[in-house]
Amino acid sequence: MARKAFLIDMSRCIACRSCQVACKQWNKLEPEATVNRGSYENPPQLTPQLYNQIQFIEQGQGDELRWLFMNQRCMHCGDAGCIKVCPSAGALYHTPEGMVAFNQDKCIECHYCVNGCPFDVPRYDRKKKVTKCHACVDRIANGLVPACVKACPTQTLRFGDRDALIAEAKAAGKTVYGESELKGLGAVYILEDAPQTYNLPAKPAIPASIFLWKDVIKPLGILGFWGAMGAALLHYVTFGPKKLDEYGRRHDDDLNPPEKGA
Amino acid sequence: MNNSMSRYVERFNVVERVLHWTLVVAFFILVFTGLGLYARTFFGYFDFFGGPQQGILFHKWAGVVFFTSSLLLALSHLKELFTFDQDDVLWLKKLGGYLSKEHEDIPQGKFNCGQKLFGIFSLVGTLVMGITGIIIWDPAAFGRGLTQFSLMLHALFFTLFMMGVVVHIYLTTLGNPGTISSMLYGHVTKTWAKAHAVKWYRKVQKG
Repeated sequence: MARKAFLIDMSRCIACRSCQVACKQWNKLEPEATVNRGSYENPPQLTPQLYNQIQFIEQGQGDELRWLFMNQRCMHCGDAGCIKVCPSAGALYHTPEGMVAFNQDKCIECHYCVNGCPFDVPRYDRKKKVTKCHACVDRIANGLVPACVKACPTQTLRFGDRDALIAEAKAAGKTVYGESELKGLGAVYILEDAPQTYNLPAKPAIPASIFLWKDVIKPLGILGFWGAMGAALLHYVTFGPKKLDEYGRRHDDDLNPPEKGA
Repeated sequence: MNNSMSRYVERFNVVERVLHWTLVVAFFILVFTGLGLYARTFFGYFDFFGGPQQGILFHKWAGVVFFTSSLLLALSHLKELFTFDQDDVLWLKKLGGYLSKEHEDIPQGKFNCGQKLFGIFSLVGTLVMGITGIIIWDPAAFGRGLTQFSLMLHALFFTLFMMGVVVHIYLTTLGNPGTISSMLYGHVTKTWAKAHAVKWYRKVQKG
């Protein structure tokens, strides 16, 4: 199946947050009590009960206020840090469409994905299981678009064939974020400013420690263990053990006379 | 058992032996509960512990036991572990005599140079595993950067421990017959003591 993706054009967003509401409704996520912090942004970040969220980037420029919006969610990485570190096969997985979904029955509650994600997306719910945007895996498997896309009134959020959406954006002269990083993100963005302005890493990558852990230490460690086993065995059949009776025979003079039967 | 008529010399007292075998049991519980987290190939080992969640719980508490017993054992030998002299240089030059079929004359104290180095590694490894283990005990308690770094170090020292333990077990059983009795019954034969730790043997004989 051709890989699918979100194309998220933040220049079209009016911050109505229909996406947040539609997501909570379709995925039956519980309401949460929040406090007014003097911004329309609410809640302030992703929670176990909020799979996508509009961030308000408010910049004062003299008398003007620059308002930028960012739809934060799981980026559905091609090379997903969460899947890389997850010890339980199938707890986090790529759907046939290339989106990153999860199966709570297989989640072993280790929290590795929380630390393996380059974007700090996965959350743990009250059942102590992983939650995050799964691109409405149940809807897309049946040919529907995710709930947030369905609800978006401005076509900020679109979902479809990844290559076609990127080609279309490029043809319109836009720069896209996430085309090739991490083997291509499944949420590709059109931004109005540098990624850092949107609190996105300029060059998203698997965290260095996670890379060392899973791609260097793990394979070398398995090699090292069997190497040590092989070396011990090889030593035994080549130089052999340090047998005491041979030592004793050569040093008979300084040994006590051996006891009978010893 | 130090009288001159006996064939044996005492090497490890009962406290040292109990500490050692406590950390051994904890170590293997840690290995088999940790392997499931190390690579998916070994995920099935969790079945021996009643599933992954319970396996992780076993891992955490076995970690506390290992940390305590290993640290106590290392601390009780701290002075011996960090005392090196010219004979240790000789041991290193001759690689402990292990690359020769003959017996090499390398006078060593109670612990030879390799054993001291392994003891120091074990002490450092125990501290690293203990500290990083506390940090990842609740993987949401500390910052992401520190938790990621700790996960990496925990895996690195696990692999070092596995390599170390293979060498340790080989050299104390098959590689050097007569050694294991020191950890099982507390004593070695005088022949063993003269062959492997002659400086220690002379000291013990003098009383």
